[in-house]
Amino acid sequence: MGTQSSGELLQGTLPLIVLRILSAGPSHGFAIARRIELISQDVIRAEEGSLYPALHRMEFEGWLVAEWGTTEKGRKAKYYKLTPSGRNQLKHETARWNAIAGAMATILREA
Amino acid sequence: MIRKLWQRVRGRKPHDDSEELELHLAQLTETYLDQGLSEEEAKAAARRRFGNVTLVQERSHEMFSFPLAHSFLRDVSYALRTLRRDWGFTLGAGAVLAMVIGANTAIFSVVNTVLLQPLPYPGAERIVSIETFFTNTGQSSPMVSRPDFLDWRDQQDVFEAMAIFSSVGDTGTTLRGRAVFSNTWSVSAGFFEAFGQTPLAGRLLAGPDFQAGGVAVVAHPWAVTHFGSAGAAIGETFLLYGSRVEIVGVTAPQFRFPGDPDLWLPWNIEIPRGVPAAVIQAQRGDYAWQAVGKLARGVSFTRGEAAMRTIGDRLARQYPENRLKTVMLVPLQERLTGSVRMTLWILLSAVVVLWLIACANIANLLLARAAGRTREIALRAALGAGRGRVVRQLLTESCVLAGTAGLGGLLLAFLLVQGIVAVSPADLPRIGDVRVDTTVLLFALGLSLLSTALFGVVPALHASRLDLSDALKQGSKATVARPGTRLRCGLVVAEVALSVMLLAAAGLLARSFQALQTVDLGFSRDRVLAAYTEYPIQGNVEIPKRIAFFGGVLDRLRAVPGVEAAAGAAYLGMGWEPRELRDVFVNGRQEGQAGERPQAEIYDVTEDYFRTLQIPLLAGRDFSRSDTPEGSRVAIINESLARIAFPGESPLGKRVRETPNSQVAWMEIVGVVGDTRWQDPSRPAPPAMFRSARQGTGNSPSILVRTSARNSFDEASLIFTLRGILNGADRAVPVEFKTMEAMFDSTLRYPRFRTEVIGLFSVVAAILAAVGIFSVLAYLVGQRSRELAVRRALGAQAGDVVRLIVGQGLRLVAIGLALGLAGAFAVARLLTGFLFQISIWDAGAYFGAIAVLGGAALLATLLPAIRAVRIAPLVVLRHE
Repeated sequence: MGTQSSGELLQGTLPLIVLRILSAGPSHGFAIARRIELISQDVIRAEEGSLYPALHRMEFEGWLVAEWGTTEKGRKAKYYKLTPSGRNQLKHETARWNAIAGAMATILREA
Repeated sequence: MIRKLWQRVRGRKPHDDSEELELHLAQLTETYLDQGLSEEEAKAAARRRFGNVTLVQERSHEMFSFPLAHSFLRDVSYALRTLRRDWGFTLGAGAVLAMVIGANTAIFSVVNTVLLQPLPYPGAERIVSIETFFTNTGQSSPMVSRPDFLDWRDQQDVFEAMAIFSSVGDTGTTLRGRAVFSNTWSVSAGFFEAFGQTPLAGRLLAGPDFQAGGVAVVAHPWAVTHFGSAGAAIGETFLLYGSRVEIVGVTAPQFRFPGDPDLWLPWNIEIPRGVPAAVIQAQRGDYAWQAVGKLARGVSFTRGEAAMRTIGDRLARQYPENRLKTVMLVPLQERLTGSVRMTLWILLSAVVVLWLIACANIANLLLARAAGRTREIALRAALGAGRGRVVRQLLTESCVLAGTAGLGGLLLAFLLVQGIVAVSPADLPRIGDVRVDTTVLLFALGLSLLSTALFGVVPALHASRLDLSDALKQGSKATVARPGTRLRCGLVVAEVALSVMLLAAAGLLARSFQALQTVDLGFSRDRVLAAYTEYPIQGNVEIPKRIAFFGGVLDRLRAVPGVEAAAGAAYLGMGWEPRELRDVFVNGRQEGQAGERPQAEIYDVTEDYFRTLQIPLLAGRDFSRSDTPEGSRVAIINESLARIAFPGESPLGKRVRETPNSQVAWMEIVGVVGDTRWQDPSRPAPPAMFRSARQGTGNSPSILVRTSARNSFDEASLIFTLRGILNGADRAVPVEFKTMEAMFDSTLRYPRFRTEVIGLFSVVAAILAAVGIFSVLAYLVGQRSRELAVRRALGAQAGDVVRLIVGQGLRLVAIGLALGLAGAFAVARLLTGFLFQISIWDAGAYFGAIAVLGGAALLATLLPAIRAVRIAPLVVLRHE
């Protein structure tokens, strides 16, 4: 199975992925990207070209807030944190994804 | 929602974002370093992995802004920078475009004010001119008769106000001791109501004024000139025809109807009791007045006209005098401006053609420029601008160019409008009101936008078709070749065609104007002076005394050395107002109906009139001193009237009169004279009948003097002497001398106006077309420089090269000429109304057009050709 770039996934999934990752705690762009690759075992790769606009968009929508901080290595980085409205959004999106996935599975099994 | 809007307004801090992305890049680079790559390789790998940093940044940026507005503003600033860098191009193209937009705007201002804007009176769209329509000939006339009007007025129910009016002319008025000419009109009750006017000072004419008379309403400019202010004029008096008149009101400054009046006098048009019916019926044939009316609110024009026509038809059945006529309505605006409508639309079309040519030129120049900018455009596209973005930016550039040119043009238009008003005929309807208003501003704006669309899409489209990699590789000699060239040649052909059309139109008008100037008018106008006088001795002095007075003046004039002949005439002809046709009644014939009787213009002249103007006497005799008021009345008719009224027989001895009123004596025809074209040299001479002024009412005649003056100095001293005589007779008399030559020139004012303006446009068009040809040929020479160098190296002579280039250029011009001539033939049809004795196929005009354009084109092709020859072949080949 090759590496899927995030651009090839459904449009709505990148925000969902990011929200889920951030639900575990604030993080910065680079770390988020590495985490996605790590957890999905390199199946999904977040392209920086889509990641940052997505982060900024979610900030625009009010699901995240951004703040400058420092990484463990001492570098300056912009940290994103989930807001209450973001947690809400995560709940909704997860539910929606599960519904779709369930329906897909049913179709593939029985159609 | 509000929060999002606020986010957009606040925007994003670009520093933050770029820092964020740079930091990410740094971390990526570190990862690669850890993997063992060198610093250079790590950096490169990181960048490649990241992608286009700027693009990412922009995408985020766009979310937090008003992307369209911001990118437009950025485009504008970039456009301004580029245009400033190529300031030669910008100045040239901008100046041409500004001039053309300015000219268009100026002419549109005139069209707008004269034709499009409603008349400046309340309810102007309901004001109509009430006219007589002759059912047997299908002709209409704005002149009506008084009994007809009274019947219309009494029987109608569609008008809220109706009035008739007539011109008294430029009358001598004496105020505060000075004598001046004042343009005077007599108006009936309802006149000012029809125009919804309220006075600026005093009051307007009211009921009792029409019974009593002795009052006048005056125009604002006149009041200010003579009394300082509107208020000061109220209550003042002046002398008119010897009677005292009191000023009771001053009109609002912008009210100027009809023509350019100074005074309005009240005129009781009711027919007094006891007038015999026969007299009233006779007056139905006397069309000496004009009528206006204001339709009541809610009455449509169609309904109003139908109602009036019913009344007219009823009268036609009722009175034998009216059998062949009825009523028609014409919206007042159309009556006033209808005659100039065609002229103005043609001028506007001509200036629009000029604009098209200018846009084609600018498109050409932009294409030439685009060829040089291929590299820049390709680079921007490669850096991620996206083709659409680049096209948008190019369009913005054209927009900025057209916008600034538009502003410049608008400013220029203010000046040009004044220029046009100055050269146009002074009696062009509403010309005094012409100004730049909001409609005109919108027009200028629209024209600028349209200009952008026209010449802006060209380089934009061209840019969108570029092959990027080719363009980047080859540098300036890039792929511009075929599509650009074909387009540019096409544009030049179009320019040539359009300018040929304009030149042909100008040629036709010029030939027609020339014909007008040389037409035989039937009289001789050189060395004839005309003096317009107004002796205020009418009212109180008996007719025979008045006639003797004028006779004495003429005798004294004739005694002056240098005067070959002198005569008096009650109406000079060649004036501003055409003479109306009156019915002629012949003794021994049935009175006939209106429309069936011969008609003629009627003039009152003294003896020697025909000799003074050198009008040939074809039969019989001239008037003489022995034709006195006590003797039998005599008349002289011209050839046309003789032919119409007395075909095949001699008119001498026949009896005629100008009214069916049997109280008026018949006149015996004692002479026949040649035809003359007074008013309009392009129309055949109207039939005319001359009465002897010595048998007339003793109204102030205009004086005509034929002099033997050979130069203007002699003429001036003669005028001095003549004026002395006229003033000596009565010092309070205003006297104005004009030459017949000058008066004739003024009858040609409209043809002159058309010819001059379109002539100017066509010359400018030819210059623009020549510039276009030059630029394209220069470009083609550049394209072919290699080929030409090879040819030269192989032995071609300078002459051959020149012939080659010129041939290429002339081939383009020839195609353009052919297309243009075809177009010109089609368009010439529109001009038929303006051409006198010249057919639309007139060879002289077309040859002239071809010659002018051909000459300009030849010059335009020679210059690049000569430059092509100068290029040393070795230099070119080495350069490649």
